[in-house]
Order: sequence, then structure tokens, then C-alpha cells
Amino acid sequence: MDSDEDIMYDDDYDDSGNESSGDDDVEFAMVEEPNNPKERQELDEYPYEVLTTEQILQHMNECMKEVNIVVEMPSTVIRMLLNHFRWDKEKLMERYYDGDPEKLFTEAHVASPFAKMAVPAKIAKKEHRRTGPSVEECEICLSTLPSSVMSGLECGHRFCVSCWAEYLTTKIMSEGIGQTISCAAHNCEILIDDATVMKLVPDAKVRLKYQHLITNSFVECNRLLRWCPSPDCSSVIRVQHVESRPVTCRCGHTFCFACGNNWHEPVRCTLLRKWIKKCDDDSETSNWIAANTKECPKCKATIEKDGGCNHMVCKNSHCKTEFCWVCLGPWEPHGTSWYNCNRYDEDEARAARDAQERSRAALQRYLFYCNRYMNHMQSLRLEHKHYATVKEKMEEMQQHNMSWIEVQFLKKAVDILCQCRQTLMYTYVFAYYLKKNNQSVIFEDNQRDLETATEKLSEYLERDITQENLVDIKQKVQDKYRYCDSRRRVLAEHVYEGYDKEWWEYND
Amino acid sequence: MANIAVQRIKRELKEVLNSDEVARCSIHVELVGESFAELKGEIAGPPDTPYEGARFQLEIKIPETYPFNPPKVRFVTKIWHPNVSSVTGAICLDILKHQWAAAMTLRTVLLSLQALLASPEPDDPQDAVVARQCKDKPQIFHLTAQHWANAYAGGPSINTDYENKIRRLKDLGVTEMNARASLSSCDWDLERATEQIFS
Ligand SMILES: [Zn+2]
Ligand SMILES: [Zn+2]
Ligand SMILES: [Zn+2]
Ligand SMILES: [Zn+2]
Ligand SMILES: [Zn+2]
Ligand SMILES: [Zn+2]
Repeated sequence: MDSDEDIMYDDDYDDSGNESSGDDDVEFAMVEEPNNPKERQELDEYPYEVLTTEQILQHMNECMKEVNIVVEMPSTVIRMLLNHFRWDKEKLMERYYDGDPEKLFTEAHVASPFAKMAVPAKIAKKEHRRTGPSVEECEICLSTLPSSVMSGLECGHRFCVSCWAEYLTTKIMSEGIGQTISCAAHNCEILIDDATVMKLVPDAKVRLKYQHLITNSFVECNRLLRWCPSPDCSSVIRVQHVESRPVTCRCGHTFCFACGNNWHEPVRCTLLRKWIKKCDDDSETSNWIAANTKECPKCKATIEKDGGCNHMVCKNSHCKTEFCWVCLGPWEPHGTSWYNCNRYDEDEARAARDAQERSRAALQRYLFYCNRYMNHMQSLRLEHKHYATVKEKMEEMQQHNMSWIEVQFLKKAVDILCQCRQTLMYTYVFAYYLKKNNQSVIFEDNQRDLETATEKLSEYLERDITQENLVDIKQKVQDKYRYCDSRRRVLAEHVYEGYDKEWWEYND
Repeated sequence: MANIAVQRIKRELKEVLNSDEVARCSIHVELVGESFAELKGEIAGPPDTPYEGARFQLEIKIPETYPFNPPKVRFVTKIWHPNVSSVTGAICLDILKHQWAAAMTLRTVLLSLQALLASPEPDDPQDAVVARQCKDKPQIFHLTAQHWANAYAGGPSINTDYENKIRRLKDLGVTEMNARASLSSCDWDLERATEQIFS
């Protein structure tokens, strides 16, 4: 398996237009016309597989076997060591042959597999002194029990199996710990291997959760694997190389493999990440409010400053207090010239005023793009709900003597509508950061065209279908969605061409 | 309550009651009600500390998942100690949090608390005001802790200077408890304490 080499890749996966993905592409490169990005987009396949938790476990075991061939140790010890090195096989081997394996085990908090024979002195002594060889006391439930129901690791701490089961269940289910469950004794850092966990936990549900927890770190550490981000899905996507490309899970969710967000053509992962962060801390909005509103010094009503003049009049009709924006003092002593305010000189006040204007303009620009982005996101959600309505319509049409094949166009139309909305949504992220130049003007034209066409298609789908207008509507819907689809491609290809030819310049 | 928790508490009560410490009246535990979910603990202030001769009541709540999660313990008796809140009695002690282990018992918890009284850890404080005093003015800290032990926990040392200062504030209409808390946090500077209360 070559995935381990890829673990160490740098964060260079945003180069979706770049062909350096490996020898597999040679075949395609011969067919493709190098200067036609449209052809390239369609021919350049992105192979991936959808794996179940079981398959991931298997995959993980194969990886462990490869180490086991070289270093003979129990597989769970290998897993914990690999986990310690973030599944970097080479690094583990290097450290292992560096000389001091015992030190390595201590560092990774793993019981040494070579110390198995040593009899734990403490326990041996206790057995003899207290109760004889066949019974022991469990220090958790404080019961005296036959040695056959006592269990423990090489550290010598032994507890009864039902206490172990309780302990492990608490760790797995309420604390969500899998990889790093340590011995139940106080201050004992020895980690419990998975064979022991599986043996001591009787409940299948808990065992499943445990398997998920231990594979989780394997998936998270392996750059060629990614959990499907859909909330109730436990599938994993495996790729052959990391790229910002759409992958579709078994559950139907499509997302960007590189960043895990919904598929976000045409904007790149880095820019999207920046945008999401910006939207997340709406500090920008609150900063603006802090900078641009003050409270009336008399009635405490919130006053927004909308012009350059510092002579403020409270908007509360019962108050109408006149005051100075700068010092919040009464306006009267300031007379007719606002810069008489003795707490602020003219330059400083002007600079403050300019800064306020700038922050306000920037905010309005942000809100413009944000509103459109949110608007498409909202519509997209509604469109998804429309699938149900469309299904109904399709059934209705079949009753009007149309075949199943013939009514498929409706579903296809909603598919394309959703795709267009999604692309449009992300074009506003792209546009927000884009600096104006000749190409950005073309991009904005494309965006406008697609937006108009998409809204038209959406309107058509809302219309009632009757026996009379059915043929007509079908024709129009098909025309519309074909047009939308072609506009969407034109827009995306133009953006990708711009990435290749370095047309795009960004703000910030 | 889970069976194992009940079984454990029963066994532990027996263990504590038969221990040397109980014989020496150093620690004590008893049930509150019938449910095994709450207990009352008591520890004696360790010798050669400002808490010597005093007895401290503890509230012990047993979680459903005991002994796989630690009991929730709080001082009911007011105490002046950097790792215990002088207001709520909440305790900052590692074994009651992440260092808890299922094999620990109420006896080990009470003994650990006693050890904590003997060696405060002001660098990992629960009560920042007390911790600062403990580090910067150990002499005043010692006297204050001793005074609190006398006032709330039956400790033997009477500090007439402190008593007088409290009385002065009481004459101004301040409750005894507030007066003591303010004076303690102001290192017994009557002027500062008065200001703190009336500002
Ligand atoms: Zn047990
Ligand atoms: Zn152990
Ligand atoms: Zn999925
Ligand atoms: Zn992405
Ligand atoms: Zn007003
Ligand atoms: Zn002014």
C-alpha cells in the first residue's frame, strides 16, 4: 500500500488544475487537447472508493501487518505504536531500530510485549498473604473473587471482569476515548490493547463504538482517507491522491475531498475557508456597530451616526437632546463649528471620521456578497425539499400517459437547478475576494447570466402541469435546464482557465 | 443507583469504620438518608497546621457511575485554604477530577483532603485571593486560617486582634461573616476592608 508516503504530503492540494497527480494520467494526457480546459475537466477522472468501517479496519490491519513482517510484535502493540507516530510506518521502524525499544514502549505508554513473562510481584505477594492462590480481591468492587474472573495487563493491576467491562464502557461511551484508555489503577499509564478491550466488553454496541474510535485516528492521520461529513454516515472515502475534487458517498452526500466542505466549485478551498471563518466571527458586524453607534447621553437611546457632522440630535422624539458625537458633551458650548470640541483636534477627528466611513463601506460590500451567498444557500435547501414535490409531479404525469423515461426530465431539471444554485452560491465567495480587472468583468457577466437563467428554470418548475400544457412545459423545461447547465460550465471553465493563466487577483 | 456503586459504598463504609483513622477520630463518614447517593464526611485538621484541633464537615455526592467517576466533594464548613473556595467550599484536587481511579475509595479521598490541608498548593488555586495571601504573606495566611478554623470549625486558637476588628465592622451594621471575609481578603487592614464593603 502506498498511502503511507502520502501521509507526509504538504498542503498543496488546492491545485485542482494541476496535472502532477501521477503516472495514471498519461493515458488521458494523450487524448486531451492541452489548451482546452473543458476537455480536460471532463476527461481527467478522479478515482476514489467508498469504504465501510469494516473495510477501514481491514485496511488498517493490512498496514499493521506490513510492520509486523519486519518487527514481530502483537498487532495491537503495533497499532498503538503506529498511532503514536501518526501512522508513519517509516518513522516507527526508524525509531525501533534506533536501539532502545523499551524506551519506545514507555514513551508510547504501551506495555512491553517482551515483558510478558515477568510475574507482577505485588499481586503475587498479595495473593499469598491474604487469601491463597485461587481467590483475589478486586480493588474496584471490593469483592473477593476467584482468580479466573480476574483480569489485567502486564503492569500487574488486576480487576474483576465485570468491573473492567464497566470501566471500559464508561471510557468508550461517556468519555469517547478509544485509542488511549489506560489501566484502571491509579497513576498507571499502561494503555489497554484492542484485543483486551474486545475481550472484556460484552456489549456489541460499545464494541462498535470502540472500533469506530480506533479507526478514527487511522483515518484522521491518513491523508488519503476522509470520513463522510454527513452526520449519520460512517463511511470513508479513499482516494489515490489528494485534490480539491467532488466525491460522492454511498449515502448520496457530495463533498470536496480536500477540505470536507460541500462541493464548492468554482472557488478554491483556501478562499472558502477564509470566507467561512469570516462569516463565523460576525465580529465585523459588531465592530461596526461599536464604531458607528453611540448612546444618547441623556436617554440612552442608540444613535447611529450617518453623516460626517458631529452635531447629533437624539432621534427619540421625547428627548431630542443635542450633543457632540466626539465627546458626548452637550452641543451648546460647541457653537456652530463642531471642531471646537476641545477633546479632539481637527485632524484626529477627521481621521476617525474617514476610518468610520471606510469600515462602513467595507461592511456594506461584505453584506452584499453575504446576502447573495446566504440567499442561494437558503434556496438550495428549499430545492432539496422540492425533490418530494417533483416525485409527486412525475407520478401525476405518468398517469397522463407518459412513460417513466419520459418524465425523468423533471428530476434532471431539479438536479441541475441544485447544481446551479450551489455554483452560484460559491461564485459570491469568489467575487467577494476578487479584484476588478478585465477578466473579472467577464466573470461577473457569466455570473449574472447564470443567475437569471437559474431563476427562470426555478419559476418553470413551480408551474402547474396540466394535460394540455404538458408537452409544451416539457420542451421549455428541457431547454432551460440545458441552457443553465451550459452557462454553469462556461462560468466554471472560465474561472479554472483564470487559475491556470493567473488572471485572478484577490483582495485582503 | 447502580448496583456496583451501592455495593462499593457499603464496603467502603465498613472499611472506613474499621480503619485506624476512625479509631483515632481522624476521619469519619456516614450516610445521609437511605439512598447511598449522599454521604456526610468529616476530617480532623492535621497537627502542626493552622487547622489543628478543628473538624471540617464535607458533603459527598456519589454519582450514578461511581466508582468509575469520582465522588463530588465539597467543604460544608467554611475554611481559609488556597485550594478550597472560601465562598462555596468547592475543592480543587486532581484525584477528584482527571486523576481519579476506580480503585480509590472514600477513605483515600478523605486522607488526601487531610494531606491537602497539611500542604496547600497555592500555584493551583481554587480561591485566588487566599492563594495570593498564602504566597505573599504566609504569616497572615497562617493566622487567618487559624482564625477561620476557630470561628467555624471549633479550632482552639482565639485571635483577639482579629475579633476586635470584626466587632468594629459589626458596629457599622456589617454581618459577622461578611466582616470576616472582607478583613481576611484585605490582610486585616480595617480601612481597606471598610472601603471594600461600603464602596
Ligand atoms: Zn470488581
Ligand atoms: Zn496498571
Ligand atoms: Zn456518507
Ligand atoms: Zn475544498
Ligand atoms: Zn435622547
Ligand atoms: Zn465635543
